[in-house]
Amino acid sequence: MGYEEMFPAMNKRWHDNATKRFASPFVDNPHDRIDVDPIILSAAAVACGYTIRDFYEKPELGIHCVGYISHLYDLLPVTHWFFSLPWVTELGLKLVYKETLPPISTGPIYSAPEDVDKMHVPSKEELVNAQAKYGQLATVPMFYRIYDYVTKNLPMTLVPISYGFDLVGAAAEMVGMENFIMWTFTEPEAADKLVDKYTQTSINGAEALADKYGSAMLIVGSILANNDIFNDEGVERYSVKNMYKYVDGCFKRGAGPQVFYHLCGNHETDYKLFRDGLMWSPFTVFHVGYKGRNPFPSSLLKQNFEDRATCMGSVDTKLMIDPNPNKVYNQAKEQLLGGRDSKKGYILGTSCETPPYTIPGQMLALVKAARDFGTYGTW
Amino acid sequence: MVKITIPAEVKELIAKRGIKESDVNDVINTAAATKKYIKKGNDGLAKKVIGGLTVYVVSDLSGKGTAVVKTAYAHKMSLGKIVNVMSETDWKTPDGRPIAQGHVEMEYITVKRNGPALVDPATGDSWVEEYLAVKTLAVAEGLFEKKRA
Repeated sequence: MGYEEMFPAMNKRWHDNATKRFASPFVDNPHDRIDVDPIILSAAAVACGYTIRDFYEKPELGIHCVGYISHLYDLLPVTHWFFSLPWVTELGLKLVYKETLPPISTGPIYSAPEDVDKMHVPSKEELVNAQAKYGQLATVPMFYRIYDYVTKNLPMTLVPISYGFDLVGAAAEMVGMENFIMWTFTEPEAADKLVDKYTQTSINGAEALADKYGSAMLIVGSILANNDIFNDEGVERYSVKNMYKYVDGCFKRGAGPQVFYHLCGNHETDYKLFRDGLMWSPFTVFHVGYKGRNPFPSSLLKQNFEDRATCMGSVDTKLMIDPNPNKVYNQAKEQLLGGRDSKKGYILGTSCETPPYTIPGQMLALVKAARDFGTYGTW
Repeated sequence: MVKITIPAEVKELIAKRGIKESDVNDVINTAAATKKYIKKGNDGLAKKVIGGLTVYVVSDLSGKGTAVVKTAYAHKMSLGKIVNVMSETDWKTPDGRPIAQGHVEMEYITVKRNGPALVDPATGDSWVEEYLAVKTLAVAEGLFEKKRA
């Protein structure tokens, strides 16, 4: 039995409405209410009775769960599936599946700065043909399988996406976090080279996706590079500049034009660097998770980025597993009031991926707040 | 008048892109008359809005009074005011003023968003490079049409 045989067909009426709503912020055509994107991943599989491991080990099942559960909670009309370490397999890391986590590395494979010179950036062709050598976690073949499945079974939800994801964090996995952070002080050129090699690999991969599907949305973030780890200069050097390079490089190879910038973690002061440091396309969403220990205020997000892109505000992910729906509802209300009239549109999100064991009542609270305070009126 | 040469392979490319040879000539002659174009080495980049399209021509200007066309391309979005100015590029105005990377407002089907462009903050002028016009903006125009439908 294929996974598609386990799910009822998607409700066309719901999907048509969600599609119009999803288009709203990008084309100034308000419809229904502010959209809600809790970055649902393995929570969708758990809600369908599967495990976190199932979500990652069986990506076609995982992405079907995302599509199915999006209807339940009235979320986005598009599907996605990802984890935080694309491309590292082809760069030599071994990833293993875990019961309660996304695939993780068995450990770094380089330890000395001069080792970075040994890292081979796989060509597009090598990435496309990587399955024989690297198995099912080879990135391009895996995403080809996922999007081929969606094309066949959930075609109305298809958005081919290529993930640069966390350019700094994924590169750091190659040498170990502690090593990498130390290098940024003692061997900054080696740290630069390491992130560049990961970035170039990601660009080659984005081209492979764009070749097959005609275009590819880009998701890239600044996650390890945040103010808990780096000062503003460090975030700019290792993250902002490489995010620009990644998006520009992908555009040159035919990927884009949609871009989702995801700033996870604490971006207390470094957020200011992204405004004039990134490449902005006509279809760009900009999302920041936290300012200090608190969700990044949507009013501040709007103030700094509404003239650049569609803004995505955050509700603290911790609240999604805190059995008090009003905490989610009230924080979502505050964020909606702060950001809903952003000039290029607003989306209500969570600070990062909603937790796997998200409480359904909290998800309802998030969407209810968007219905109560995110309808288009005379704001 | 500039002596314009369009090699056969370029004629084939611009025909595929729906650009007429007369448009290419118009872009180059207008740029020569107004001195509104930018240069990188021997290459010149000129643009003109023709019938709702912004048409660009890249030519080799190494010969005196001649332009050998290297490529031509177009986009439907109209370019508006400069949003930001970033680092300098190798492009310069004919009088040597540096052109920067940056972003401009782009408008299509009444929707205004931002997109990357080469910008001249002194004049407010902007140009879109070929890879962005034929890939990024072409797909973006299609998405605007689909999402607005």
